[in-house]
Amino acid sequence: MRERSELGFATPYENVSGEVAIVGVGEADHTRASGRTSREIAVQAIRRALDDAGLEAKDVDGFMYTPYGAGLDAQAFREEFSIEHDLWVSTQGGGMVWAASGPYEAAQALRAGKARTIVNVFSVAWATQRGQMVGGPGESHAEDLFKQNLEIPFGWFPQPVYFATIARRHMHEYGTTEAQLGAIAVACRRHANATPAAVMREKKLSLEDYLASPKIADPFRKEDCCLISDGGGAYVMTTVERARDLAKPVVEVAGVGLGSSDTGVHWAQQADFTATPQKYAAPVAFEMAGLDRSDVDVLACYDPFTIVSLMQIEDMGFCPKGEGGRFVEGSALHFDGGVLPYNTHGGMLSHAYVLGIAHVVEVVRQLRGEAAAQVPDARVGIYGGYTGPQAATLILARKD
Amino acid sequence: METRAEFPLPDVAWEPTREFWSAAARDELRLPRCASCAAFAWYPGERCRSCGGAQLAWERLSGRATLFSWVVVRHPFLPQFRENLPLVTGLVAVDEDPRVRLPTRIVECTPEELAIDMPVEVVFRDLTFPGVAGHVRAPLFRPLAAR
Repeated sequence: MRERSELGFATPYENVSGEVAIVGVGEADHTRASGRTSREIAVQAIRRALDDAGLEAKDVDGFMYTPYGAGLDAQAFREEFSIEHDLWVSTQGGGMVWAASGPYEAAQALRAGKARTIVNVFSVAWATQRGQMVGGPGESHAEDLFKQNLEIPFGWFPQPVYFATIARRHMHEYGTTEAQLGAIAVACRRHANATPAAVMREKKLSLEDYLASPKIADPFRKEDCCLISDGGGAYVMTTVERARDLAKPVVEVAGVGLGSSDTGVHWAQQADFTATPQKYAAPVAFEMAGLDRSDVDVLACYDPFTIVSLMQIEDMGFCPKGEGGRFVEGSALHFDGGVLPYNTHGGMLSHAYVLGIAHVVEVVRQLRGEAAAQVPDARVGIYGGYTGPQAATLILARKD
Repeated sequence: METRAEFPLPDVAWEPTREFWSAAARDELRLPRCASCAAFAWYPGERCRSCGGAQLAWERLSGRATLFSWVVVRHPFLPQFRENLPLVTGLVAVDEDPRVRLPTRIVECTPEELAIDMPVEVVFRDLTFPGVAGHVRAPLFRPLAAR
């Protein structure tokens, strides 16, 4: 058998700690099917992020997005905001893993003088598009010809099935239980109930409710799976030096790390089946930040499914590998008194399915003391981004 | 999304997996194996992922495997599966190299009989879907003791 160390790697990152600040955050309205386009959702998120920073569109000279399901590309950004000056553009932005690694790209651009004020945006209108059977999270997977010809014919599709398969194997290897997965869903719902912008703000979920819910992809219930919603978010970055002159408390990028699997892009063939590349990403970020797990006041992870939260909590080192189930039990993840307040806006399970961009927004608000489910005196927060074969850790810290 | 008319049946003519499906049509399970280092190259690629070797030959397997993990699907994620629900789908690790996992359906048993790492064996059955013309012979698996 191959050594575990040969199954993945961390991208070598220069130390950018203390160079970049997130100075503005904004969310578009998060809704069920709304009839909106992802472009107008992105515009709303950017306007709110700029307002939050006390900046105007004319101040923006850097733009980050992702070509994957892009609501707003650079040309559309120029049109919507009447921008005619030079713009540094990066496609290494957006949500998922890039909402975490994007600030590293931004640091490089700020260092090189390519930009001074950079917007990163992500938006989706998948709830609206689902009714028309176009777009949506399953489509990019169904277009993969290996999946079409080796997975889908057997019913091994789509994402809930992949991750229920992972969850059952995790249960076998480590004794993880359905009730432990349920504790994650309950914590996220509780946080959404306290968050006015959350899609599930009015729908309660107890552990008893969770356990009584029918299984759709056994061992998963629908409560193990993220929402499908329309929405988006944006954040504005500049240098820490310049951030001191802006209105809000300074939240800096203290550390960032990017990890990758070396065993391809298909979940079926991941050698490290019950782990995520956070185990490569997180050590880089913590070392860069000069911080340890015990310094973290609030954690937000890309959470398409409960098991993805559990694995990232383990792989980031908040507990030994395999002990995540026991770690998340009870109120451990709750914002008010939990040992590791987690997805304090409700995450993708209960806040909105905007692929992690709202997680970064939430962590920044926590560190400013502006969150709805506020963790008292939160000073260090993390966003963990995930795509499957890649994961990234973004450590943010309040500076004052 | 544009899909083939036969979706979710496989495209048996797609070159990277053509041998897999043509072997299945003869009730054989075959996977590409590296002539240099003997590792199976799965999913199929131009080269061996273990040693980079370019000589890959499709080799017949015993059809014995272990059940790596599975899911009981009760929700029609794809409408073509609605009449097949509930179905058990999952991954089996082939005996010749347990690092190689085949997505498959587990048949001829109830979910209650299943256990992780239990021995399973291949059975060949025709895949059909309501509203989709044609059928494709495919390697499914059943518990070894179920005979």
